[in-house]
Amino acid sequence: MSEASHGRTGRVLRHRLADRVFHWAMAVCMLVLLGTGFLPVLGARFAWVDPHWIAGVALAVLVLFHIVRALFVLRPAEMRVRWQEFRGSVRTTTREVLGAARQRKNIGKYSVGQKLFHHAVALVVLTAIATGVVMMIGIDGPFWERNPFLISEKSRGMVFVLHGAAGLLSITMIMVHVYFAVRPEKRYMTRSMLRGWITRDEYAQHHDPELWSE
Amino acid sequence: MELLRYKSDIYGQRIVEGVSWDLLWIALAAGLAFIVLHALYTQRKLRQPQNDE
Repeated sequence: MSEASHGRTGRVLRHRLADRVFHWAMAVCMLVLLGTGFLPVLGARFAWVDPHWIAGVALAVLVLFHIVRALFVLRPAEMRVRWQEFRGSVRTTTREVLGAARQRKNIGKYSVGQKLFHHAVALVVLTAIATGVVMMIGIDGPFWERNPFLISEKSRGMVFVLHGAAGLLSITMIMVHVYFAVRPEKRYMTRSMLRGWITRDEYAQHHDPELWSE
Repeated sequence: MELLRYKSDIYGQRIVEGVSWDLLWIALAAGLAFIVLHALYTQRKLRQPQNDE
């Protein structure tokens, strides 16, 4: 039996348990980070620094786990945006926006939009983690003492700019992500992020076996 | 509306402190605008016939 197939049940495995746990753990970390990062900006007064860096460290560990899995267990090729695929998607979308009839086109495991979104999230989250590590050196922690002189004031300002920009972009991206997750035509994908599988009918209806082999 | 926040360092020079928190509302508005525009566009498209490839 192949990787994606649940032969006997008529279901197709889309996300393994480890990847689902990663996704939802990352979601919790992101919400804690955004809550502890932005609620004080909006006037909420609470001790936000400790939960913020702890959630940040947890997120960094999760991302490291995901990178290792993506490189050695999952199929990285499924996330690669091929030039021809990208050009075709842009052309089809542009035509549709300009009034042409909708084209029903089956996708691989992920659509071009989903892959680009993943890469944008990766860029934003990695920026937030890298800048967050530098910012952590400026505060006292349980295993380290603060070193406010590691980087200059000007450089620290740029680190804060990048960290803040990553946080702001995360808000927009999470809104868009949740919107697509609850759209009726995408709900089967959301279910697969909860339960792991999609039905064989959903696989046949939305996916191209040549691009996402069972 | 400013894009960045500034402060003065110990020498009195103006230095960057971080992004302007006004951008928080831009981030929320951008997300909301995308959702509304996409929902309207999709609703309009769903009424049209579809070509199978």
